Amino acid sequence: MNKKPKILIVDDEKGLRLGTKRLLESEGYYVETAENGTIGIQLGTKKDFDIAVIDLKMPDIDGTAVLKAIKEAKPNTVCFIATAYASYDSAVESTRLGAYSYIPKPFTPDEFIHEIEKGYKQRLLILEAEKLKQEREERMLELANEKSRLNTIIESITSGVLVVNSTGEIVYYNHAALNKLDIEEISLGEYILDKLPDEITESVNKYLKSDQVIYNSYTVEVELKTHRELFVDVTCSPVVHPDGSLAGVVIVIKNITEFKKIELLKSQFVSMVAHELKTPIAAVQGFLKIILDDQLNIDREKQKEYLQRSTVRLEGLLTLVNDLLDISRMEIKSKKRDIEELDVKEIFDSTLQFLEIEIKKKGIIVELNIEEEIPPLKADQNEITRLLTNILSNAIKYNKSNGTINIEVQTNNNYFLIDIADTGIGLTPEEKEKLFLEFYRAKNENTRNVSGTGLGLTIVKRIIDSYHGKITVDSTYGEGTIFKIQLPK
Amino acid sequence: MALIAIIDDDPDIIEASSLVLQSKGHDVISAGNPDDGYEIVVEKKPQLIILDVMMDEPDDGFFLAQRFRKEGVNIPILMYTSVSKTIGFEYGSGEMVPVDEFVEKPISPDDLIEKVEALLKKELKRS
Repeated sequence: MNKKPKILIVDDEKGLRLGTKRLLESEGYYVETAENGTIGIQLGTKKDFDIAVIDLKMPDIDGTAVLKAIKEAKPNTVCFIATAYASYDSAVESTRLGAYSYIPKPFTPDEFIHEIEKGYKQRLLILEAEKLKQEREERMLELANEKSRLNTIIESITSGVLVVNSTGEIVYYNHAALNKLDIEEISLGEYILDKLPDEITESVNKYLKSDQVIYNSYTVEVELKTHRELFVDVTCSPVVHPDGSLAGVVIVIKNITEFKKIELLKSQFVSMVAHELKTPIAAVQGFLKIILDDQLNIDREKQKEYLQRSTVRLEGLLTLVNDLLDISRMEIKSKKRDIEELDVKEIFDSTLQFLEIEIKKKGIIVELNIEEEIPPLKADQNEITRLLTNILSNAIKYNKSNGTINIEVQTNNNYFLIDIADTGIGLTPEEKEKLFLEFYRAKNENTRNVSGTGLGLTIVKRIIDSYHGKITVDSTYGEGTIFKIQLPK
Repeated sequence: MALIAIIDDDPDIIEASSLVLQSKGHDVISAGNPDDGYEIVVEKKPQLIILDVMMDEPDDGFFLAQRFRKEGVNIPILMYTSVSKTIGFEYGSGEMVPVDEFVEKPISPDDLIEKVEALLKKELKRS
């Protein structure tokens, strides 16, 4: 026992107070005494004593009143009534008021210690019971909290959750489920299977109608609203009783509409890529088969021409594959970027030099005006070169012979403003809209002899987006196009 | 021997196909887009048309075929396709696609000749 049991002695008889105090202290108890009822009540109601021994007859207040007061304030204090005038009535009365026992005076030290020990055992039992009761209450509270916490969790899940019992009645649901299934009202215990889409009912019935418990989960994809408006993935899993029988089925409904949309885009993209890759392959293979065909007997001159044309197509194919790789690299954002301070004039000069042959071939005049004392552009050199090459090569390819390309580079507080204007074939409003789409190429009588992958401007757009810049197009059909680029300073 | 029109936006495919057909003694006329294609067919009245599905638009070959049929051009049409398998769409001739035969690109010379001869023979019997 690391804490001494605390005893309160309330008695007006000084000799008894001192005697019992000494006796108890020698037995290892902690003792306080009160010389009358008033002090007894003060001490006994303020401190939490293990045991109180109260004299029945005191000059100021009666012992039963002290007992009552202490019991009211500290119901777990074990109280003894001690008296020389023991009577049956007073014994009954004090027990009724909550006294544990009755000690008749005079008593021997042994008798007294024996009573106190008994009382202390009682006190420990009371405390233990109290502790258990408190724990149970806490656990009940926790359980209630746990249940409401679980409700909150399930309610906050964006997936729909429904639980049906083995007769197809709803026993649990969250509102995400009602919303997805477009159910306006439902009450627990209601038969639900006729309100669910056929595909879900079918899955649930697999469990409910089976003779043996099925332990697997089933997942089905269901189009709840047509035209890809709401696509869900529904997983049904069994809920099993402790005895192994089927309690019900939990149904989790996940919205996969966006995923389905992306899937469609992906398959469209794949078929476009396949077409773009296959076209040059078909041309090259056509030529090779002709050359290899003995019956056709192509002369050497023609053979060489076809091989040359094949080479050109293969070069185009290679460019296309590289463009595709660039795009996918940009998508996964794994591309290592070397941000450095680029001299704007230098980067335009080197790009134009790279395109010089094409420019001369078409007799195009390039005007380059760069703001004086322009600050350096902080960017990856390869990306900016790629961006300018793609835009300028379009300005050359789609230009008129002997046309011009006008490049203006300025800055404002926040951006570099780059305008690249050509005197080319221009764009119709419909063409303008589709310009940045993958594989989009304006096709009309003016563009038939222009080659390209259809990915050039897609790459441009992605580079600019990755710098949080902006690109817009102004164009008049038949007159020319201006690309306006903003790149952050 | 027949006059055959090839309508395809890929000049290399026109060149290769022409050469194969010319080696069998056929005469070939060609166009690189649907409008020119329509014109040469109406003007020169070939005995057979080889038509690419996808030119300026992904399906303008279909529309041109429909236009020919609507306007009474009933000669055999052999359609070149390149992505039917990748998009999981198996073309079949019918009202929507009023053509007589399909060839998947790339085309082998033997295949092309075989299909063209078969269509011409069928056409001869019919008329």
